[in-house]
Amino acid sequence: MLKKFLGEWNTKTIVAVAIGAALYGVLMVWGSIPVFTNTNLTSAMIVPVVVGALFGPLPAMVSLLVGNCLADLIGGWGFWFDWSVGNGVLGLFVGLLPMYGADIKNGIFKIKHAVIYVICCIVGNALAFGVVTPIMTSLFYSADLEITFLQSFAGGISNTAVLVIVGLPILFILSKRYASRTNLVEEPEELTEE
Amino acid sequence: MNNRFLINYIPGSTPIHKLNGTTKVLGFIAITVAIIATFDFRVMLAIFALCMLGVASMKPNWKPVAFMFGFLFVMNGIIGSLMVFLISPESGLTKTGMETIFWQTEGGKLYMSWELLWYAWAMFFKRVTSLSSAILFILSITPSELAAGLNSLKMPYKVCTIVSLAFRTIPDIARDFTDIKNSMQMRGVELEKASLPNKLKQYVMMLVPLLMSSFAKVENISNSMDLRSYGKCKGRTWYSEHPATKGDYIARGVIVLMFLWCAFYIIFFRNINAPAVDFWCPWVPKEISGYWF
Repeated sequence: MLKKFLGEWNTKTIVAVAIGAALYGVLMVWGSIPVFTNTNLTSAMIVPVVVGALFGPLPAMVSLLVGNCLADLIGGWGFWFDWSVGNGVLGLFVGLLPMYGADIKNGIFKIKHAVIYVICCIVGNALAFGVVTPIMTSLFYSADLEITFLQSFAGGISNTAVLVIVGLPILFILSKRYASRTNLVEEPEELTEE
Repeated sequence: MNNRFLINYIPGSTPIHKLNGTTKVLGFIAITVAIIATFDFRVMLAIFALCMLGVASMKPNWKPVAFMFGFLFVMNGIIGSLMVFLISPESGLTKTGMETIFWQTEGGKLYMSWELLWYAWAMFFKRVTSLSSAILFILSITPSELAAGLNSLKMPYKVCTIVSLAFRTIPDIARDFTDIKNSMQMRGVELEKASLPNKLKQYVMMLVPLLMSSFAKVENISNSMDLRSYGKCKGRTWYSEHPATKGDYIARGVIVLMFLWCAFYIIFFRNINAPAVDFWCPWVPKEISGYWF
């Protein structure tokens, strides 16, 4: 269980996390529609879904954390460390996919998993943008608490919307693609020995 | 779109460019801590001046820099301030300690005070300062230097690789993104003027090929890294890391001073002798604000 949580940190994971972070940065800056101040309806939210599905929660979290820092640095709105941490927490929750048995690489993604995924997204957003980010924002930047909550509320809602509306179909598509590649039937033990 | 790229891949030649990666990362951390710690406009002005001096000394392409500040002004300066005014006009009182109302609606629900304007301005300025420090950092550093600097601060080198690799692949992915976008537009998909649900749908349609092409790279890159024995040893040396020069020692001296000042400021001015309100405002008397200078 712990191993699934941490993910396997081999070269492939590292590269995938890095590419995910870069993808997040690019999509955050150029692939999003502003809905509110500091808040975007962003297609970048798809990154933790894919990274999480393929590599596990911790890689998803690192990917989101690094990606958000990158987006902050190249995006032209300054460095907002509170949002990066909030996004990291969200990534952890979204990337929980392999923990409850969804195995995209082997084409296992059923309705049951989809329901848990949606719950995870909602809980993750509530925790990340309902608790972590507002507290940090008002602590470090002394923004008005009400506005901060409103902002993070808008952020959480738009993230959840993207995660569910865009994320679910993509998860189904991915698992289908992988399933079609792995339609091999497992052979009895003695035959597989070389 | 390319206008907005500020990332350096080739080390520059000005004194700040020549600094060691460690110095740059430490400097950025110091400035970020300083910005987070303070709500005093005078301190922020000093930090901002310092950052802009650094930016100017690197002779950057000013166009994207100006664009970034303009973007920030629209998003936070105008819209953000408007929100403060609409949602909690009383924050002028709670943040600076006084209220001089000069305009209000009939019922008194919406009102505008000079302190509120000051608060909005100071908040905006804090963001401007934060952006200027980010620009200073991003202009001065190359991805490898960033990785080397992070590693010298005891960050696991695999994380450093992630950071530098992500930085490096951004232009590639941005190019793929533009290519996909252009080819979609060639086929008559409207991206600029579509309605919100439509726009979202178009973005999703762009997403699938982008995801595929990006994650297809993973195999190639990781194989070539494995072939070069990546991750076989515990440590790693960095090509871009050079021994500290005279300029580095001077810069590190300044950074140490800055850290000491931050510690002093946080301990003394934010805890022991904390002012009654967060924001310093020029015309609020010090008996109310608690800022005693």
